Amino acid sequence: MESLVPAPLLQVIDQHTAFVTSRGLLKAVDGVSLRLERRSTLGIVGESGSGKSILARSIMRLLPPSAVIGDSSRIVLDGHELGSLSERDLRRVRGRRMAIVFQNPMMSLNPVLTIGTQIGETLTHHLRLAKAVARQRSHDLLVAVGLPQPDVRIDQYPHQLSGGMRQRVAIAIALACEPALLIADEPTTALDVTVQAEILDLLQRLQRERDMAMILITHDLGVVAGRTDEVAVMYAGRIVEQAPTRALFRNARMPYTRALLASIPRLDDAGHSRLATIEGRPPDLIHAPRGCSFQPRCPRASDRCVREAPALTRSDGHACACWHPVSGEVRA
Amino acid sequence: MSTPPALLPLQDEKSSGGSHGTPMLRVDELVVEYALGRGRVVHAVSGISFELARGETLGLVGESGSGKSSAARAVMQLPRPTSGRVRLGDTELTALDGRALQRERRRFQMIFQDPIASLNPRRRILDIVADPLAIQGEGSTDERRARVCEMLERVGIDATQALERRPHEFSGGQCQRISIARALILRPELLVCDEPVSALDVSVQAQILNLLEDLRETFGLTMLFISHNLAVVKRVSDRVAVMYLGKVCEIADAETIYRHPAHPYSRLLIEAIPEPDPDRLVARNRIAVAELPSPTAPPSGCRFRTRCPRAEPHCAENEPPLQVVAPGQLAACHFPHARTSQQRASTA
Repeated sequence: MESLVPAPLLQVIDQHTAFVTSRGLLKAVDGVSLRLERRSTLGIVGESGSGKSILARSIMRLLPPSAVIGDSSRIVLDGHELGSLSERDLRRVRGRRMAIVFQNPMMSLNPVLTIGTQIGETLTHHLRLAKAVARQRSHDLLVAVGLPQPDVRIDQYPHQLSGGMRQRVAIAIALACEPALLIADEPTTALDVTVQAEILDLLQRLQRERDMAMILITHDLGVVAGRTDEVAVMYAGRIVEQAPTRALFRNARMPYTRALLASIPRLDDAGHSRLATIEGRPPDLIHAPRGCSFQPRCPRASDRCVREAPALTRSDGHACACWHPVSGEVRA
Repeated sequence: MSTPPALLPLQDEKSSGGSHGTPMLRVDELVVEYALGRGRVVHAVSGISFELARGETLGLVGESGSGKSSAARAVMQLPRPTSGRVRLGDTELTALDGRALQRERRRFQMIFQDPIASLNPRRRILDIVADPLAIQGEGSTDERRARVCEMLERVGIDATQALERRPHEFSGGQCQRISIARALILRPELLVCDEPVSALDVSVQAQILNLLEDLRETFGLTMLFISHNLAVVKRVSDRVAVMYLGKVCEIADAETIYRHPAHPYSRLLIEAIPEPDPDRLVARNRIAVAELPSPTAPPSGCRFRTRCPRAEPHCAENEPPLQVVAPGQLAACHFPHARTSQQRASTA
C-alpha cells in the first residue's frame, strides 16, 4: 500500500454495513470506498434510505451491535485502522481526531447538564484540562461558534436555547478537541432557512480556520452546492457518482443525479409549471434489484443494466457508476 | 391597528385574477393567542387580513414561530381564532355554531406536514378516506367505497391494493397521497395545505407538488399553501404572503416577491435559500445572529427591526402599516427596498 502519494486523512475501503432484520439482511451500505484529503470538504448527498447516515456512523464506528460489517471493510484515519482499535482507543480517536454533528442537537446534548458543563466535560476528559481552564476554553468555543450572549448561555440548559443555538453548541462540542475530521450529518435539516444559512456559513468558516476536513451529509443538493470541494451521490447503499462540486452540478453523468437535480423546485421556475419526477420508488435494500440498483427507474436502462451492476469508474476526476452515462451540460 | 369597519374593501388595486364578485376566502383581522398560564400569552397571529379569489393559490411563508400554521388552522376553525373574521364565499365561518360549522366543513379541507402521523395507524385506508363521507352522511356503504376507489386512483394509489391495508404499509409519499384523497373526497372548494411536502424526499416532493397542481386544475381548487420553502411556494402560488412574528410583512404576486422583494425580511428569506447551483451562492447581507424574538413579547414598532439591517429609531416607535409599495404589492416597512436596485444579486 506504500506509495509516493501522501496518505489521505481518511480512507474508507470497501465499506459494507448491513443489519439483520426479520425479512433478511438489509444492506444499508453496500461497498463504499472513499478518500478524503486533509482540509478538504466532501458533500455526501442522497435521499432517505440511500445509506448516507449509516456510512457516517460506520466511519465513526458508532453502529448498533446488530450491525454486520464486511470482512474486507476498513476505515483508515491518519494511518490507523479503526477496526483494529479497542473501544477505549476508539473513544480517544472520536472527539480528538474526528467528531460528528447530528441533525437533532437534542439527541447529542444532555438535557440535565448546562452547556458549560457539557463542553467542559469533553475538554477535561480528552485533553485533561483543569476545570477553570476548561471553562475558559468552553467560553472561547461558544464565542467561536457565534452563540449570542455566551456569558449567559454557558450556564443555561439545552431547553433554554433555540434549535439554531443548540446546533451551535453541538458544533462547539465537536470542535472542542480540534479534530482533523468533522462529519456533519444533516446539520441544518431541522432548522429554518435563515438559520440554516448561518450554520452552513459557520461550518465553512470553522473548517477553513481550523484546517479541518469536513464531510457534509445532506438530502439537499442546494446545501452542498457552494460549500464543498467534491460531492458524492449515494443511491441504495452505494456511491453512484462522485466529482468536483462544479463538475457534478454542471455535467452530472449518472441519470439518477440528473433526475434528482431536475426535481428540485427553483426560484426561477415559472408558476404552476410541473417538476421533472423520478418514476417509481427507491429499491428495497433487502431484495435489491439485479444489476444497477437504479435500473428499474432509469429511462436509459438496457439489458446490460439488468444483468450487471456497473462499477464506479473514474475519468478526468469524475467518477460514475453507469453503463450509459449522460454527456453534456445539465439544463443549459 | 384597531378593528376596521366590517366590510371595508381590503385592497382596492387587487392584483389577483378574479377581483370580480365575492372572494372565495376572506380573512379580516385574524388574531390567534394561546394562554401559557400565569397571565402570559403567545401572540401567534396578530391581526392579519387577506383574500383569495376563486381558483387562486395563496402561499404563506415564514420561519417557525411566524404564525403561518396558526393562521392556517384559524382559517380551518381548528381551533377557532381568538378574534377576527373568516368568510368562505358568503358564509361567515367565525359566526357559525358548532353544528352548522360541521356541515360547512365539506367546503374546506386540510392536509398536514406529517402524512404518516395524520392517518390513524389502526384503521384501513378505506375507512380513513371514507370518513368524511360518513361524517357528512353521504351515500351508502357501497357508494362510499366506489367514491373512495375513484379518489384513490386520482391521487395515484392503486385502490384494489390499498383499501384493506393500513398506513404503515405505505411510504411517506403514498401516505400524503392518501391524505389528499381524504381531503378531496367531499369535493371541497378550499384546500389548506400546511407544509405538505416538507417531510418528503426531493424526488417524492416533486411528485406530490405535481399532483397538487393537477388536482387544483381538475377540481378548480382554491388553495392556501403554507411552507417555509419559498422555492416550493413560488412555484405553486399565484400570490405570496410573507409572515413574521404573527404579522404579514409583505404580500404580492409570486414573481414580484421573488424579483423585487420590498420588505427586508422577504429579501433575507430569498437570499437564504440554498440553490442547487455552485455559482450562485448569494453574497448575503450579513444579518446579526439574532434569533426570532419571543412571540410572548414581540418588539415594539416594527417586529422585524431587531434583525433588520435597515432599522432606524423610527422603526421602534411606529409600527409600519401594510401599504401599497407598487401595484399589487403591499409591504409593512418604513424603508422598503426600491424596485430599481432590486435585481437578484448573484455572484459568480
